[in-house]
Amino acid sequence: MSNSDYAIKVTALHKMFGDKTVLDYLNFSVPKNAIAGFLGPNGAGKTTTLRMMLGLLPTPRDKIELLGHKLPGDRTSALERIGAVVENPSFIDTLSAYENLKWFGSLYKPVNYSRIHEVIDMVGLKEATNQNFGTFSTGMKQRLGVAFSLLHKPELLILDEPTSGMDPVGRVQMREILLNIHEKEKTSIFLSSHLLDEVQKLCNYVVIINKGRRLTEGYVSDILSSNEEHYEIRVSDDSIERTKNILEAAQNIVKSITLAPRGFVVDLENDTSHLVNEILVKAGIKVQALIPLEQSLEETFMKLTNKGSNTFVSSTETTQTTKEKESKEGEK
Amino acid sequence: MLRLWNLILFELRKILNNKKAFLFLIVLNITPIIASLALLIAYISCKSLGLGDFQFLAMKRIIQAMFTSHFTIFGYTAPFFLALIVGDSFSTEFGRGYMKTLLLTPVRRWQVIVAKTSSIIIFLLIAVLLGGFILQADLFIARAITQPSGVLPNPLQEKLMDTSISMVSVSSAFQLLVITFVANLMMIGFFIVFSMFFESAILMTFCSIGSVMAIHVFYLSAFMLKELVKWFGPLEKLCFTRHFTDLFSLNIIQNVLDGSVTILSEKVLEPMGFSLLWAVIFYVLAVIIFSRKQVLH
Repeated sequence: MSNSDYAIKVTALHKMFGDKTVLDYLNFSVPKNAIAGFLGPNGAGKTTTLRMMLGLLPTPRDKIELLGHKLPGDRTSALERIGAVVENPSFIDTLSAYENLKWFGSLYKPVNYSRIHEVIDMVGLKEATNQNFGTFSTGMKQRLGVAFSLLHKPELLILDEPTSGMDPVGRVQMREILLNIHEKEKTSIFLSSHLLDEVQKLCNYVVIINKGRRLTEGYVSDILSSNEEHYEIRVSDDSIERTKNILEAAQNIVKSITLAPRGFVVDLENDTSHLVNEILVKAGIKVQALIPLEQSLEETFMKLTNKGSNTFVSSTETTQTTKEKESKEGEK
Repeated sequence: MLRLWNLILFELRKILNNKKAFLFLIVLNITPIIASLALLIAYISCKSLGLGDFQFLAMKRIIQAMFTSHFTIFGYTAPFFLALIVGDSFSTEFGRGYMKTLLLTPVRRWQVIVAKTSSIIIFLLIAVLLGGFILQADLFIARAITQPSGVLPNPLQEKLMDTSISMVSVSSAFQLLVITFVANLMMIGFFIVFSMFFESAILMTFCSIGSVMAIHVFYLSAFMLKELVKWFGPLEKLCFTRHFTDLFSLNIIQNVLDGSVTILSEKVLEPMGFSLLWAVIFYVLAVIIFSRKQVLH
């Protein structure tokens, strides 16, 4: 992939606060036209990365590239094509939603007043157009932040926890807003979030980091697909013990067994579910149901973050490790 | 350029949208407001004289004296208000997160400093001009309510008394504005450097004003102390506050008003030159600090 195909490219980004390493030669890239999730536990370095990308923290030379613009030199050119919300958006309390967008928007390019109304409408704040920002609820503030970031029709949207402080209905609406923007305005989106189910529903690409290092990145479908399949096997209560013994004996296809309320949850080798069923039926066990379970991002995330920052799971990770070592050595 | 202009307008809008700004305009123009009352008292007291020319002359003297004192008092009190406004423009914005939103737009950090300074200077000049206009309006009113007596023939009357209804000449007014601009530019630069380290306007104001007072007290005592300790001499030269007090001294303002001194005279040019030099130093420092500042809120 050439550099122009990336919306974001971060190379060996390093940051320390005092003695504490926050970003440890972080590398990742996000392709254009993706809705990418930026995941990591608290203190992983997500917000610091976003702040450095947007120039709120001093940016080292040539470590970050946004839409082909190298930072910090091309920061203003990059920001003209980017919309961003970092943490809780803050606007002038004594100005209305409309006035805030008008004034802050004038710093991008001459304000198109119909566009202000359009974005206010888009985020569902039409009734609060003339309401002072100081009287807004947390959810409304988040929406106005998103409206502000959309004002100049950006090619890339960078959002830090866009649904934080929102109720479930607000989250669903925000997801719809972002999907709508992605479809209608062809905007690439890069968002950090703790809400893994939200990310799984919204994003097609993810970057997972921990302790300032990348654990994995790639398209969600690729990350979730693995050599294993997960199934729930339901059997009657009196066959539980026998079923367990049979499954344990089939070590070559059953990788793990966990007791579930009405049977077991098992990890199987790919395309072996019919064999498990056959074994159990032949042994005279009445299999009530064999239910395939979809692997969730949450499981992957938990596995990765629990293993620690030195664990790399996907094939791309081997390359990542080598690259990081190289860049670290280069830095030194 | 258009972006910078929009930023200046936005900053001015923010200042004028703040209730404190109106309070500052009233407080900074307390002398002209009192002058209006004094004018009324003078009119009533001089009414028994029955001579409009004398009444007008008395009133004009009062107003002119008020203008000189207004300008001097303004010069000494403006830094306190400036510190608060600069604190609001920088420290408060860091604390409340406005600065973060501003820096997410494609503006450069030096542009933020230039825009905020310009808007504060414009506000300050509005305050000075407002005082001047109030006093000039007082003078018009005084002329309107005191009719020429007709006792003295007109040519003689003009020779004996200053019947002009202009409080100051255009040239003097312009020079006073230049002095105000340069002196306050230096102070604003100093306060901006300070505001980079605080997220509360009040805290920043106390600390910066405290520092200004400490520097000036040192300067006032240095003329004796430098005889005892040699390094007090060079340090005294670094006390930038002396240029500010020099520019706003009663003596200089009176001389500029009566035309005996201009801003090109050595007496004014020297403190103005040093003030400009300090302003450049403070602004360069402010830009360097701001460009490295981590905006965390």
